[in-house]
Amino acid sequence: MIGTRLRRAVVWLLGGSVLAFLVVPVVAVVPMSFSSSDILELIPTRPGLVQYERFFASPDWMQAMALSFQVAIGTMVAATVLGILAALALWRLPERVRRPLEGMLILPRIVPSIVFAIAIYRLFLDVGMVGTVPSLVVAHTVMAIPFVVVMVGSALRSFDHSLDEASRSLGAGPVTTFFRITLPQIRLAILGGALFAFNVSFDEVVVTLFVSGVRSKTLPVKVWDAIQHEITPILPAISVLVIAVTLLVLVPALLIRRRAA
Amino acid sequence: MSAIDTLVRRHGLTTCLLLPPLVFLAAFFVVPLIEVVRGSFFAPDLTFDHYARMASEPLYLRVVSITLKIALLTVLLCVLLGYAAAYLIATASPRARQLLMLCVIVPFFLSTLIRNYIWMAILQRSGLLNHALRDLGLITEPLALMYNQTGVVVVMVNMLLPFTIFPILSSLLAISPDLYHASSSLGAGPIRTFCRVTLPMSLPGVVAGALLVFIVSLGFFITPALVGGQKEMMISNLIDFHIRQVLNWPFAFALANVLLCGTLVLYFLYARSVEGRLPRTAFP
Repeated sequence: MIGTRLRRAVVWLLGGSVLAFLVVPVVAVVPMSFSSSDILELIPTRPGLVQYERFFASPDWMQAMALSFQVAIGTMVAATVLGILAALALWRLPERVRRPLEGMLILPRIVPSIVFAIAIYRLFLDVGMVGTVPSLVVAHTVMAIPFVVVMVGSALRSFDHSLDEASRSLGAGPVTTFFRITLPQIRLAILGGALFAFNVSFDEVVVTLFVSGVRSKTLPVKVWDAIQHEITPILPAISVLVIAVTLLVLVPALLIRRRAA
Repeated sequence: MSAIDTLVRRHGLTTCLLLPPLVFLAAFFVVPLIEVVRGSFFAPDLTFDHYARMASEPLYLRVVSITLKIALLTVLLCVLLGYAAAYLIATASPRARQLLMLCVIVPFFLSTLIRNYIWMAILQRSGLLNHALRDLGLITEPLALMYNQTGVVVVMVNMLLPFTIFPILSSLLAISPDLYHASSSLGAGPIRTFCRVTLPMSLPGVVAGALLVFIVSLGFFITPALVGGQKEMMISNLIDFHIRQVLNWPFAFALANVLLCGTLVLYFLYARSVEGRLPRTAFP
């Protein structure tokens, strides 16, 4: 009995330390963000909201945040529409054709971001689109499509085909059938995919570093610059805000995915 | 709507659905990547100079060897630590399992950049860890925890652990409890059961996770750039350096092509090794 207890204790100690290693840094930033001094401290000596006020009072940071939201919403819309179309097409194809196509649609998640970054940067330089909102949306959409395809694809696989066929045999066209029959059944998966797409864009930094140019800096790119120049005391506050936005977007997305699985 | 219906009738629904996403990805993903590959060979005439230079200069070979070394160390630690975490999660009660899973999933989806920044705040000379160690009287001089390979590996392991935890966990959970009963009723002790049943049965998860971590590590950019600094450049950072500082595009393209081909070949191997052996839900 003691042997079993001891073994459980060892398993909890080892596994627990690994999980703590994952979680503690993310949690530690929360108290840090309430510091009023200019040096980093884990437990602030004079806690306050100074850094948050600084962030919201800075037109530079506000502009970056607004741009990030703008690009993320654009990406969400574009990636969701293109992802749904792709997932619907894949669903209708025979296995033999579907597999390689699926592989290609997933590829943006596998290609290293730096390689895609310089490739798309080159293209946007050639057409003079570096630093524009559309160029950022296009680049982020490429990276977000796989998430939508996977989410919507798995919802379609568990979807009742006979309803679709019934609708068609009763004379509804494919477009009507999609909006009246298919869409209501995969609504949640679409929402989940859209939220993941938003998150991909809102966090993206490597490709954005190249495509954003000098003027149109998203929040992550401004954070990147700030980190490179000095460890500014405002960064923990921004980290907490970014984490909050991510959680807000992600928690429903994860719940939807769990329901689907 | 009727116009679309006519279009669909004439060309087939599947083609119409597939066309927009395929054209989009071809224009903004495939063609730009092909341009990278082409640009590494033609400038404007066919040349292999950039590849020859990569293979002959010690500086570049050093970057490649640093990249491989960091990636392998990261894989090793991710497998060992990931196994410990996955084993705990797999053997916990269902309710505890839910909670422990959250500890893996939530950080995994949080911004990589932000998590790197937090690690910098912890590891830098005047950072939290050095402060804590000094306050405890363990050190007098701050330790160099950042701008070296140790720092890069620690942070990369932190970022990539979920890639081993998820597949190992799913292969651990797939082991039938009957096997444990059989093993213990045949007289094997817990350690022997672990070595002869648990470990071999979870090996597919270990292999899948290790390959995945290796693939992602090779192309890592943010951590070596922020935590590693100029000295510990990995191949991604060398590509960035040649694009934005040296402005030697063809050479950067050649480096990118090597990274791209390596990644794709390894990913192909990974996909074949995983096929059918792991449930689809093994990855986030």
